[in-house]
Amino acid sequence: MPVVKVDFSKRESVKVPVPEPAITYAYLPQYSHEVSYARHNQLIQYIAKETGMPMRQVFPDTFAEHIRMVERGEIDISFSNPVVYVQLARLGSSAFARIKEPDGRPAFRGQIIVHAQNKAINTLDDVIGKRWIAVDPYSAGGYVYALGYFLDHNIHADDFREIAFAPGPGGKQEKAALAVYAGKYDVASVREGALDTVKDKINLDQIRVLAVTPEYPGWVYSARKGMDKEVVSKIAQAMFKLSMDNSDDAAILRKARTCGIIPASDSDYDTVRTLIHKIDVDDKTSILPALPPKPAQRVKNAE
Amino acid sequence: MLNKVNSMRFRTKLNAGMSLIIISLSVMLAVVVTNIAANSLIHETKRRGQVLADNIALRTTSSMLSGDLLQMKEMVDELRTVDSDVAYAFLINSSGQILAHTFTNGFPVDLKHANMITKEAAPSIKLIDTGSDKFYDFAAPVTAGGLVIGQARLGLSRSQVQVVVNGLILTISLVTAITLIISLAISTQFAHRITYRLGMLGQYAESIVRGELNLNQTSGLNRNCWEVYNCEQRECPAYGNTDRRCWQLGDTLCTNYCSNKSARDLNNCEECPVFAKNSGDEIHELAETFDVMSLSLRGHIAELEEAKNDLTKQQEILRTIFESSPDQLSLIDKNGTYVSVNQAFASFVDKSKEEIIGKREYEVSSLLNTADTLKETKQILRTGKPVNREVRIVLEDGSRKWFNILKVPVHDEHKKSIGVLGTARDITNVKDYQNQLIHSQKLESIGKLAGGVAHEINTPLGIILGYAQLLQEDFPDDGQVHKDLVVVEKQAKFCRKIVADLLDFSHQTKSQKKEMCFNNSIMEVVQLVRHAFKLENVEIIPNLDDRLPIIYGNPEQLKQVWMNLMSNAIEAIGHNGVINIRTELDINEGIISVWFTDSGTGIATNDIDSIFDPFFSTKPVGKGTGLGLSVSFGIIQDHGGTISATSPAPKQLLEDGATRTENWGPGTSFKVVLPLDEMGYE
Repeated sequence: MPVVKVDFSKRESVKVPVPEPAITYAYLPQYSHEVSYARHNQLIQYIAKETGMPMRQVFPDTFAEHIRMVERGEIDISFSNPVVYVQLARLGSSAFARIKEPDGRPAFRGQIIVHAQNKAINTLDDVIGKRWIAVDPYSAGGYVYALGYFLDHNIHADDFREIAFAPGPGGKQEKAALAVYAGKYDVASVREGALDTVKDKINLDQIRVLAVTPEYPGWVYSARKGMDKEVVSKIAQAMFKLSMDNSDDAAILRKARTCGIIPASDSDYDTVRTLIHKIDVDDKTSILPALPPKPAQRVKNAE
Repeated sequence: MLNKVNSMRFRTKLNAGMSLIIISLSVMLAVVVTNIAANSLIHETKRRGQVLADNIALRTTSSMLSGDLLQMKEMVDELRTVDSDVAYAFLINSSGQILAHTFTNGFPVDLKHANMITKEAAPSIKLIDTGSDKFYDFAAPVTAGGLVIGQARLGLSRSQVQVVVNGLILTISLVTAITLIISLAISTQFAHRITYRLGMLGQYAESIVRGELNLNQTSGLNRNCWEVYNCEQRECPAYGNTDRRCWQLGDTLCTNYCSNKSARDLNNCEECPVFAKNSGDEIHELAETFDVMSLSLRGHIAELEEAKNDLTKQQEILRTIFESSPDQLSLIDKNGTYVSVNQAFASFVDKSKEEIIGKREYEVSSLLNTADTLKETKQILRTGKPVNREVRIVLEDGSRKWFNILKVPVHDEHKKSIGVLGTARDITNVKDYQNQLIHSQKLESIGKLAGGVAHEINTPLGIILGYAQLLQEDFPDDGQVHKDLVVVEKQAKFCRKIVADLLDFSHQTKSQKKEMCFNNSIMEVVQLVRHAFKLENVEIIPNLDDRLPIIYGNPEQLKQVWMNLMSNAIEAIGHNGVINIRTELDINEGIISVWFTDSGTGIATNDIDSIFDPFFSTKPVGKGTGLGLSVSFGIIQDHGGTISATSPAPKQLLEDGATRTENWGPGTSFKVVLPLDEMGYE
């Protein structure tokens, strides 16, 4: 083994590294930082190269932190779900682009799943009195869409014996699906396509989709309040240029789990606002900002 | 050196050998195990370090991405708290900036570039030498989405590892030492046990050598075969035999595993429960073999003793035969050296046996050895043909002896001559008898011849005598013719006497035998001659057995014998002497003996053998016919008796009641023995 002589007496104090000034880009931490990085690093590199502006990805740990960082101006470009965007829009953010789902639709749905062997739940009404694990209080497909769907069917949050949220950060969709699969919870709500991410871990035959929510617009790119419009426009143009027809672009888009980025406006998300309002007005339901820590803890323990 | 080892006691050798093996193995094992363990430990340490580095790299990915310096600091510090071997840890981002480290007094400037990750993002280990200590430096890439976003570095103190290795070496050494001591103790005990048992076997063997065969090396059986099989075959040689194992007996009646009765087949026995319960290790088997050997030896020795006794007895008999044989016996080896001689031989050559044995044949002077003896022996050895010859020798006292010498070759098992057995038998008596036989045959021939001639002569002789007497009457008594005729008559009568004697000698005269008084027969003759003998001053002293023995014989012929004997006696005495006549009846033997002993001049030694020959006479010519004793011999023989003469006469016979006279000679004694009845001579 090679021996390297090092003089330990020669020492220096280490300065805290200060990041270079750049446009910050954040992906709502639906997944772990590594996944976020893996999915969006190439896109960011592409945008930086395309716009000639330095860009840097930042990693908030939670949905709430993501919202707070946008509010504080630490995130310039936010890629979030419609529910979070509605919150960000309240803080001055504006949508400028949205992605198309891998199947090409610019919208997605939520799925309510149960264990295939769970004979106690055959219809939607059977979920009353059962334990429900959702992805996150801010999750669109993983919670809000399902909750709206339950309300449409006259099932309220307090009809459940327990509502838990998957522990974060990251991997929350998978954790919710796994909790049902393991039998720890009776019902889980995940976004459409999330089951594909766990197909290697569980036997999907053991999962039964009890219901699918109505379709809502997909994930959205928004610029923080006070962001230079020109900069936003450059970024948007760079995004819109990406085409699945170009192999390099296709690789970037596939990494980002989309098949294209299209222009968007704030009004595209009015249906979501309506849904949130419906939930808000439900006297018995209060989802924001009350985060039920105990069920989540239980889920963690269950893991 | 090898001799020294060879001369060592077996126990010492065994101990030394086992100790050497154990020590060598222990040292070898200790070294190998220590090496392997140390290498494994170092390898494990490296692996652990790499795992720790990989782990921190994995765990910090998120923090590194989010730029959470505090969390990264906590993580690297945590490493030191959870693992004391971790000397340092730090994280570097892709720009080479230190994000977090565990050093308290500044970061070593050169450490960052000492072990940088290559472009391939492969983990790297390097040994960092600080001068005072050495560290294994592990570098693990921090990756996200397949891209390297930084690296985690970890330093494990090599001295810490070395302390563990040293501890390991110490532990292994201690365990080895303890194992060594225990092994040596066990092996010593084992060696002691083996050598003790071998020693016991040795003592047992020495006991056997000393002849103590009654010891038993192995104890009794744990379970006897008849107990194991509940056997009731009491006639089986193994039944009740606690001295010998059943598998040592070839003729048991057991049919379980001993079907092959011709010989012990231990392969069969190995499956037999009796064998399984009682057999031991090789030394035990050896001891049992010793027991069997001892038992066999006892049997063989007893047989040998018996054979030896037989042999001794046979030897004694042979020696007795050899020694008591009157024949001279000698055994000569192929070199001509005396191997053995008997007492008769030794006495003959007037030497002790010890003086003779070992000497060459020509070195022992014997009257029987001639110049050709050596040649003769060699010839026998060469040809293998025996030699049988008769030798006459003359002893120092002048007497003659005849010996029959028989020399036969002695062969070995390959029919090769290895010596000569010599026998020299005194056959003087046989020779005498042989001579007598020849003599008798001669006499018989002469008798027949003489009888035939006498018979033919008798008639013309009678005519001559008749005519001579008739012619005398024709011539005057004083005439010359008359005188000549008287001479013719006298000589004719003499011739007739000779013819009559010849006829008697040849038994051609008829003899009439009848019962008669032996004493009377003698006394009649005595009365007849007593007066005439008195004139010559010769006294006849009869000492007759008063039991009046009666015999079956011809009185006239016997009286002629007595007359002949007494005539010979008076002729031998001449004047002044005695004739002692003694008869003795032996009823047990059925014989009557008579001795006519005179005090005459006796008979010369050379003549005594010839006195019964016809026409043998010591008298002057014309005084005797030489046929008297021959005729007497014939008559006595005709009566089935014997007649013999002894001169000088035995004193007690001669002087019995006699008074010595002037010319008292050595005398002659004739002994006549006759059977009492006719059976004796039929």
